[in-house]
Amino acid sequence: MRPLELVLLPGGVALGAVGVWMMLPGAPAERRAPGILLAVAGAALVAAGLPGLGDPLTSALFFVLCGVTLLGAAGTLAFRSPVYAALSFGLSLLGTAGLLFLQGTQFLGVATVVVYAGAILVTFLFVLMLAEPRGRATYDRVGFGPGMAVLCGALLVATLIPTLASMGRKPEGLLRPPPPADARRQGVLASQHVKQLGNELFGRHLVAIQGAGVLLLAALVGAAVLVGQGRTRLPAPRAGQPAQSPGPNQPRPSQGSDIHG
Amino acid sequence: MADAEVALLVNYLVVGAALVALGAVGFVIRRNLILMFLCAEMMLQGVSLSLAAWGRYYNDFGGQILVLFIIAVAACEAAIALALVLVLFRRRGSLDVMAWQELREAELPPVVDREIPEMPAEPPPAWPSLPPAGRTPCVPREETEFRPHV
Repeated sequence: MRPLELVLLPGGVALGAVGVWMMLPGAPAERRAPGILLAVAGAALVAAGLPGLGDPLTSALFFVLCGVTLLGAAGTLAFRSPVYAALSFGLSLLGTAGLLFLQGTQFLGVATVVVYAGAILVTFLFVLMLAEPRGRATYDRVGFGPGMAVLCGALLVATLIPTLASMGRKPEGLLRPPPPADARRQGVLASQHVKQLGNELFGRHLVAIQGAGVLLLAALVGAAVLVGQGRTRLPAPRAGQPAQSPGPNQPRPSQGSDIHG
Repeated sequence: MADAEVALLVNYLVVGAALVALGAVGFVIRRNLILMFLCAEMMLQGVSLSLAAWGRYYNDFGGQILVLFIIAVAACEAAIALALVLVLFRRRGSLDVMAWQELREAELPPVVDREIPEMPAEPPPAWPSLPPAGRTPCVPREETEFRPHV
């Protein structure tokens, strides 16, 4: 088992990294399809090297959700059109929520869908529509140092994953033994676990949750102040021009002196 | 049972690591300001998965609570980031992060885009051919832009 894993895990990561590199925005268009194939093959190799979840149905569900999550994430990197990239990130979020559900943390799954996919992503899409939604801008079609970035990411994952796999094989010296299954069934996996989560959240962590509320309020005020400032600092209209600010679809030409004004 | 739990922990940590790495790579590579922030959120997702897995393994609600705080902080970050991006977009008319590269350190050379071939222009809108009758209809400009086919 062990020599097989030594080949499967780093090999899969390397294949996946090459696939992602071939998909990136700077690459020519004809490289994309083989890139996707390579990335999927690499993910399959890594999946074959992992221990799996025991029960075949749960394992299959887990790997499907993983595929959705990682494909969505790779699509966020690869799509030229920023709108497609944001939608692909939404797909990745749905996969993450599914993984959280599968693990038994229902509240977090729902929170991910509602807060991330429902609120944050829609706001991002709204702002994306202001700019260049069809991916024709130059900056959406070139990457910034793609080879080096992918290499670093691949090295990070290629060192992490075999370490984690070896930890899974011999957990004795590395992990504290888990609590007995009965305790877990009455704790994190209990049918009433959201109630327990709420008790914990508003009991032990009451001060922290108040702090988070203050932080949200401060962010709200800060965002309003920032946007308002940007509006009042527009230069006064010159004589002969209508006294209205340019609409979002007609960007002003860049002016170097704007930084200081 | 214990082995199954260890296997679940390892699988979730691997997915979390992959998400973090993809997000980091995307943050460096993409030049669109908004997509850079989306990639940062992707890294947070990977960390959330890992935290939830640890919380399940040790039967501790601390992991889930930390994920809730991550979600709250990510919401704050998104609000501030969008406000900043809007202000930057108004100043430069572009979401390109390289539009702000004059803020780099003094001794660094500027990043110059390599020449890339122009994207082929979209085909003109295919209007149906009708015999001319009445006055010429005035088509709004955005319809000619956003509806390539009828």
